[in-house]
Amino acid sequence: MVIEKKFLKGNPLKDISEYDFPGLRRALSLGQENVIQEISDSMLLGRGGAGFPTGTKWSLALEQAGDKKYFICNADEGEPGTFKDRFLLEERPLKVLEGLMIGAYAVGADEGFIYIRGEYDLPIKIFREILEDARDEGILGKNIFGSDFDFDLTLVRGAGAYVCGDETSLINSIEGKRGISRIKPPYPIQEGLFGNPTVVNNVESLACAAEIINKGAGEFVALGTDNSRGTKLVSLSGDINLPGVYEIEFGCGTLEEIINDLGGGVSYGNKPKFVIPGGLSTAALLPEELNCGYSYEDIEEAGSSLGSGAIIVVGESRDLVEILLKVSRFYMDETCGTCFPCREGNKQINFMLNQHKNKKFTRQEVEIIKDIGDAIAAAARCGLGQTSLSLIESIFDKFPEELIEEVRHSEKVRNR
Amino acid sequence: MKKSNDIFLETVHNIQQTYGYIPEREINQLAEKFDQPRAKIYGAIKFYSMLYTEPTGKYIIRICDSLSCHLKDSHDLLLAVQDYLGLEDGETSSDQLFTLEIVECLGHCGEGPVMMVNDKMYTELTKGKALEILQDCK
Amino acid sequence: MKRLEIDNIEVEVEPGTTLLEAARKINVNIPTLCYEEELSIFGGCRLCVVEVNGGELLKPACATEADDGMIVKTHSPRVREVRQTLFELIIASHDISCELNCLTCTRQSSCELRVVAEDIGISRMRLNPIYRGLEKDFSSHSIVREPNKCITCDRCIRKCEEIQGIGIFANSARGPETEVTTFQDKGMGNVECTNCGQCIISCPTGALHEVYHSEGVWDALYDENKHVVVQTAPAVRVAIAEPFGAEPGTVATGQLVSALKRLGFDGVFDTNFTAYLTIMEEGTEVVKRVTENDNLPVLTSCSPGWIKFIEHFYPDYLKNLSTAKSPQQMFGALAKTYYAEQAGVDPEDIVVVSIMPCTAKKFESRRPEMNGDVDFVLTTREAGMMIKSAGINICDLPEENYDNLMGVSSGAGDIFAASGGVMEAALRSAYYLITGEELEDIDIKPVRGLTGLKKAEVPINEDLTLKVGVAHGLSNARKMMELIKEGEEFHFVEFMACPGGCIGGGGQPIRADMTSEEALQKRLEGVYSIDSSKKMRRSHENPMIQKLYDEFLGKPGSHKAHKLLHTEYTARGLN
Repeated sequence: MVIEKKFLKGNPLKDISEYDFPGLRRALSLGQENVIQEISDSMLLGRGGAGFPTGTKWSLALEQAGDKKYFICNADEGEPGTFKDRFLLEERPLKVLEGLMIGAYAVGADEGFIYIRGEYDLPIKIFREILEDARDEGILGKNIFGSDFDFDLTLVRGAGAYVCGDETSLINSIEGKRGISRIKPPYPIQEGLFGNPTVVNNVESLACAAEIINKGAGEFVALGTDNSRGTKLVSLSGDINLPGVYEIEFGCGTLEEIINDLGGGVSYGNKPKFVIPGGLSTAALLPEELNCGYSYEDIEEAGSSLGSGAIIVVGESRDLVEILLKVSRFYMDETCGTCFPCREGNKQINFMLNQHKNKKFTRQEVEIIKDIGDAIAAAARCGLGQTSLSLIESIFDKFPEELIEEVRHSEKVRNR
Repeated sequence: MKKSNDIFLETVHNIQQTYGYIPEREINQLAEKFDQPRAKIYGAIKFYSMLYTEPTGKYIIRICDSLSCHLKDSHDLLLAVQDYLGLEDGETSSDQLFTLEIVECLGHCGEGPVMMVNDKMYTELTKGKALEILQDCK
Repeated sequence: MKRLEIDNIEVEVEPGTTLLEAARKINVNIPTLCYEEELSIFGGCRLCVVEVNGGELLKPACATEADDGMIVKTHSPRVREVRQTLFELIIASHDISCELNCLTCTRQSSCELRVVAEDIGISRMRLNPIYRGLEKDFSSHSIVREPNKCITCDRCIRKCEEIQGIGIFANSARGPETEVTTFQDKGMGNVECTNCGQCIISCPTGALHEVYHSEGVWDALYDENKHVVVQTAPAVRVAIAEPFGAEPGTVATGQLVSALKRLGFDGVFDTNFTAYLTIMEEGTEVVKRVTENDNLPVLTSCSPGWIKFIEHFYPDYLKNLSTAKSPQQMFGALAKTYYAEQAGVDPEDIVVVSIMPCTAKKFESRRPEMNGDVDFVLTTREAGMMIKSAGINICDLPEENYDNLMGVSSGAGDIFAASGGVMEAALRSAYYLITGEELEDIDIKPVRGLTGLKKAEVPINEDLTLKVGVAHGLSNARKMMELIKEGEEFHFVEFMACPGGCIGGGGQPIRADMTSEEALQKRLEGVYSIDSSKKMRRSHENPMIQKLYDEFLGKPGSHKAHKLLHTEYTARGLN
């Protein structure tokens, strides 16, 4: 039986007069190196989807020369099935702010941005108020809490482009350009916003950082598994009885248990047809594969990825092509349009799927889809592109009898 | 320090709040302010689906049809709204009251199907509730 | 230095060298489409991806710097497989269909996609083309855009912005709708496009080409009641043989004349003649304005791309432009007056055709203030196509001379094709007009740090030293205008819209087999070979010019000359 482990969750925390920023105060007394050490000790991995160690990112940023650095909170959550950052922005915004300021202090940034997707109207309102109050209270500004840390934070509203959730696209977007990804290297830590070293962290990562400094790395590192420390906010949606955001300690249950114990079971048919364990960029898992622990390493071993923590359950009797089309349309519409494999590949896949609403795919068509998938994975310019066909390819792999024409006898003979 | 006024997206959002869209003369001014060719400013604005270079309806109706909402029958909701408004994706009604958009994830996947009317989010909608909301706009 | 291994060959390169450059150093050709040497890196087409240290993710060679110890595979089985698929995707987005196919394409013989297909060794094409249904842009008098052929490689965008400093193009929308467009989708004819045509040169496909005038010219040639005359610009003769397989810079002046006569033109004339006339008029104006200190510096007016540029971006300086028409338009004006009179033909029946290295000349000919004096303007490319489709191979023809009256040409005129040529010729005449003596040597020293900008001081007499400048390419034109705005003193400045001057014009042949800079260099050598092989003459020495003034115009700057040979400009700004 899985139950929630509340490390990040808690009572709503929005009123700045009710919060004393103990984590930030502690950070200011610890000093930059010690803060980073503590984050490194916590073994926190970035929660945006890529899972890069936060401590490493910060320490690389601190090492960067230059007196101007930026710290950005990526609140451009937009992958279908993912809504855990919105939960934090709406319920625990002060923790996000605190984590952001701890990070900025640690790496030596005096200016920051929080980039919230334009559709998140409530979080935008909440943060606008918080920033105003924080400036009035001197929590943002010069000599914060009597230290020599100066910091100001600007809210930037996104304007409806999923791809801006990629950190380099987000930087371009803040700079007033089209939100297309940049070629790396240079990495943002070397040359990011307006050419300066820049850290971009996900909302949940920052909330984690705040709690780690608040409660000490020890408490965080004691949770979870060897390779997946702490807890994870999971967004449960799809054909499930109790959708929502749940906080789960890594390793304390299987995907199946999460779906049944927390999610109240499948709502469309008796069992899932398949489950997407980490958002639309991760491979589907069959019911028999759901008996895997909830951790980065276990889901990877099962052949998929934990991604952003969006678990989407697809019920037994769903039409696969319809699902494939939704996934494909998302990637087709949301690619930035810069690199040819991603733009043309996703367009071509969508075109092919659209012609197959009621008929199966030929072997040759499946081969084409696989070739396009390989080309995109190998040659697309950013992470969004490279993973854009993972889910679709996995569904073809796992449901051949439903999607692919049987090889007819005559063909077998011919192929010999 | 950058002021939010120095940030392109914020400036553009504010212009849109004033006019309902980004008029041509404002793009010319943005080009000057941000020292960029005006084609480039135009191209940047067109990248973002929430920014408009033409007037829209008074109410922008956005219905999510991404996977999670789709599993919650967003498609039926969409058909009902399309039928009621007589609009296809991206169209604006002749009385300039409604613009309809089928959009990707709005971040309320646990509460689908969802619809946004301008800034306001409506969750766990039924066809009936959606049409009531639209009726109230008239 | 960085040491690495590319395709089992050890390479040593300077730090900062990309894998693409490193591979080229050892003669390994990695295919590219969105890459162009003089432009910034875009990294969009991904055709140049290579395997680095056996990594799963392939790296774009154009954007990856060589590093010590790298093991690079540029043509491994995996790379070749991925490239084939990428190319299939590109072709599917290129909208090849019955209506839109290689046979009718303007780039049938210079298509980069075909070169790349060969380089990759394409053996399959399994994808359906996806029709985008975009409308062609016919708004410009000079250039047509066919967006369905566009593969969004971004080269026109970067060329216009980075090399010409304008930026009329941008990518718009995103995802499958991503397209190259202009401000507010107004079309090239309704924005600050200078019509220079450099975008056409950069386009790897046929998505950009000139507005064709060849049909009109054929009709005129077939019409027995029409008297069709043609002028050829200096830069055309060193490029016209290229479509027939010759190297750039091959001089084919006489063969061109011969081909045009075979096509049926009633008179074949050299634009150099009116170029001299331009120099006479402009030189006279310079002398007058320098003496009277009237709106200095005088800015040249023969490059129509530059004219549109100044009208959009520096309208306050229109009064500084020389009022002299360009040689093309002077020819048109004289053809329908002086020539008509001499030849005894009704001006109504005269059709004036120009062959120009330039797309902006098409727009110029349509300016209302030019009265339609020039009826059709063919680019070098179009002229080549017409000659070819008449069954003529220009390389096989004997040389013939230009027709008389307007056809006496001599060396100095040919260097108008190159940047700095106009000024040099004008200075010679100005010097003569002021001092009554010939100027023997002009030394134009390039100024350090400002590529494409040249400045020089030419002592005329004890009281006067002329300060002159030359700028070619519109980025440089902008820099020069900024210097002038900041108060730097000049008397006379030459401007050419295209990098390198007219030999690098937007109407010149496009090479799929070499970079545009290489072609430019070779054409330049061609131009100077003509110049050195001919006896130098000054504009004011040209006997036909003298005769024209004596018989018809009076003297330089006369009332009649003004009426026929001078023009006015329009302040356009950015509207």
